[in-house]
Amino acid sequence: MVKKMTRREFLSSVALSMGALTLNQLLAGCKPKTVPLDPTATDVPTSTFPPPTATGPLPTKTTSQVVTPESTLTKSPPTAEPTAVGYPDLVVTRGGDPDSLVRTALAALGGIQGFVPKGAHVIVKPNICVAYHSFEYAATTNPWVVASLVKLCLEAGASRVQVMDFPFGGTAQEAYVRSGIEEQVKAAGGEMVIMPFFRYVKTDIPGGIDLRQTDVFDDILNCDVLINVPIAKHHSLARLTLGMKNLMGVILDRQALHRNLGQRLADLTSLIRPTLTVVDAVRILKRGGPSGGNLADVQQIDTLIASADIIAADSYAATLFDLQPLELPFIQAGVNMGLGRCDLENLHIEEVKIGV
Amino acid sequence: MSDAVDDIERTIIKHPHRRWTTFRKLTQYLALILFLLLFVFTWQEQWTAELVNLPIRLDPLAMLAHLLASRTFVAGSAIALTVVILTLLVGRAWCGWLCPLGTILDIFSLSSRKRQSCLEKKPIAPKWRSVKYILLMTILVAALFGNLSLLIFDPLTLLFRTLSTSIWPALDQLVTAVEIALYQYPALARPISSFDAWIRPQILPPFPLHYRQSLLLGAVLLTVILLNVAASRFWCRYLCPLGALLGLLSKFAIVTRKVSIECKGCNICSQVCPTGTIDPAKNYASDPGECTVCLDCLEACPRGGNSFTPGLSIAPWNTYDPNRRQALYALAGAIPALTMLRSDAIKKHPHPHLLRPPGVNEDDFLSRCIRCGECVRACPTAGLQPSISEAGLEGIWTPVLIPRMGYCDYSCAVCGRICPTNAIPELDLAVKRVQVIGKAYIDQNRCIAWADHIDCIVCEEMCPLPEKAIHLEENYIEIADQQEISVLLPFVDRNICIGCGICEYKCPVTGQSAIRVFTA
Repeated sequence: MVKKMTRREFLSSVALSMGALTLNQLLAGCKPKTVPLDPTATDVPTSTFPPPTATGPLPTKTTSQVVTPESTLTKSPPTAEPTAVGYPDLVVTRGGDPDSLVRTALAALGGIQGFVPKGAHVIVKPNICVAYHSFEYAATTNPWVVASLVKLCLEAGASRVQVMDFPFGGTAQEAYVRSGIEEQVKAAGGEMVIMPFFRYVKTDIPGGIDLRQTDVFDDILNCDVLINVPIAKHHSLARLTLGMKNLMGVILDRQALHRNLGQRLADLTSLIRPTLTVVDAVRILKRGGPSGGNLADVQQIDTLIASADIIAADSYAATLFDLQPLELPFIQAGVNMGLGRCDLENLHIEEVKIGV
Repeated sequence: MSDAVDDIERTIIKHPHRRWTTFRKLTQYLALILFLLLFVFTWQEQWTAELVNLPIRLDPLAMLAHLLASRTFVAGSAIALTVVILTLLVGRAWCGWLCPLGTILDIFSLSSRKRQSCLEKKPIAPKWRSVKYILLMTILVAALFGNLSLLIFDPLTLLFRTLSTSIWPALDQLVTAVEIALYQYPALARPISSFDAWIRPQILPPFPLHYRQSLLLGAVLLTVILLNVAASRFWCRYLCPLGALLGLLSKFAIVTRKVSIECKGCNICSQVCPTGTIDPAKNYASDPGECTVCLDCLEACPRGGNSFTPGLSIAPWNTYDPNRRQALYALAGAIPALTMLRSDAIKKHPHPHLLRPPGVNEDDFLSRCIRCGECVRACPTAGLQPSISEAGLEGIWTPVLIPRMGYCDYSCAVCGRICPTNAIPELDLAVKRVQVIGKAYIDQNRCIAWADHIDCIVCEEMCPLPEKAIHLEENYIEIADQQEISVLLPFVDRNICIGCGICEYKCPVTGQSAIRVFTA
């Protein structure tokens, strides 16, 4: 028989382990912070970084996450590097089922392997904003678009593909099921992740003009590839919710963004740089967004926009609603910060009509 | 003294009846674990409603009181008859073998050594056992008049409510704090997140849940446990109204404890009895109305001097058992209290924030709600909370929607399915979506757009209705130096607002929301 622990022994071992934990905390405070995000890139003033002696690019570890003015000055966004010369800046596919829309678009961009290295940890971030309606209501991203991206990433050799969002109405569990995304993603071999709030990391936004700091879900900062898959739909304040607005799903305090939304969305975009933005316009919600609920507001146009440049993708998506890109304050702010391009007439855009 | 205790311990080790008490303890732990599992998976109806509300439907007191008060019979409540039949067969075995609160009291009971010294010092007079019968009769009299307030003292509702509003949120806080502390170590980050993905959202909530008065509600249970110091199973002996009901039935039980001629009066059984019902003065006989059939006496007796055997007889009435005087106490307590509750100010003017779960008819809700707290646990947003003042004293700890704590999820109709008495009607999601809980009003003095002239629109964005019960109008407002700025001002269309409260929940104004839901 195992000897029964006495109360005294129990209490002293609890006290000992508590003490050890506290001591650990104190000791951890003495050494440089080891938060998941590399702090050197955010703490050093951008004007003196990189140091004059450094001639190469910034540490590659952080380029996909933190953008310094140096790297944003270049015409193409930093994450567009995989797109070799000759491939278009932006691809629009029309008139097929969601899976062929995605596959055709990615093929035209030079193939998924240009974005997803072998063994990469990929996060696909759809818009699953509410648990209220199924995908036909165009409040949440088309499940087959998401699943198709998951499959492509796995085919390219990604080690894990996670899909996540933080709904504002209803629980994530409910929303994942009702949107139909969970079923399709699991069938495709991806994993649905519910974002626990303790994993948000307070992160500086070095390039931020109005928003200087926010709590970001840590895997979004740590993953190798982030694929942003918004659905194009109406929104009363932003006018439209597209790729940049979809990034609000990875931070904790969304209410903070509602003041001066355009600029703050651009500030957030300067921190979180998706490798690829795929705008789902299979169905678009023209009124009553973002939560929708009325099929009369939904228009099925079987269109998909893909680009490494989030601003370009949003700009093109704006035209689907008969809006000029610069009519959207967040695009204007993003362009001002050099986060991407909205001059559609000068971009290399490839439009593919499937089945024609 | 210590010799006697040593004697007890020695005989316990030697005695063959030990397997009975081991079997009983095993049953107790299994029942407690099952109760906890059903509790855990009540959240957002992760297990089907008919299964998770089973413990409450097994409660004959709650079901009887509901039957009397509402004058309606809920088919699912017939299952409580199994407990009635069990009691008529073997006495208060529910209390000793199955009741989760009883098991918790056993877990937190003093060792027999400590118990002895406590009892020797301050024995409690047996007449106090009548308190539970008076409470039972008061509950039943009040139920006849349509009142169910005192069901807050039913052991199952008490435990379930405390688990949902105090223990589980506190456990979640503790686990989260440990997770946060350990997550900072890179080596632990992966295991911690896998652990977290495993426990959430199935066992613990995906985000912290907050309940009003959670400390107070926890203190009630803590008091019940601490009373164990005064006497083991103090609650079951003196207070428990369900125990009282089952005790009355046990008077007619078939299997009861009998003392044989083998008994040499060593007094060991009366010392081990957790409910202290073995009376040396009555030749070590016990009262079946008090005995929880735990079989500790069977195990402890060194000579086989007592047995639990079948036989048809009605147990003798004791001084503390229900009598005319007690019935008068109950009537004299219940009727003036009820009439006073009904002359309470709240009956003239309902509380402005009395927001009931969707579909509830306030007129007969108080005579249908058994205060079990199943809906509070099931609500995925923790918007349903035990009421404090909203429903008056009569409706204390009945469910109310507190939108600032959580909203009524447009995609959820769980509370109606989980409610064991149909006090909250079971509605299809499409029907539930048009139930009016209340109506939202904007406080223009606090609203960011109205008062500070800054675009906000959060309430409009959050409104789940397809046609949006909140619309925005662009207004030009003159500020200093004849300058005009444009602001989007929110307006509520109260013809279609359902009062789900998500606007109040999400309103970014600090503290009290600038848009609030009022009783419709």
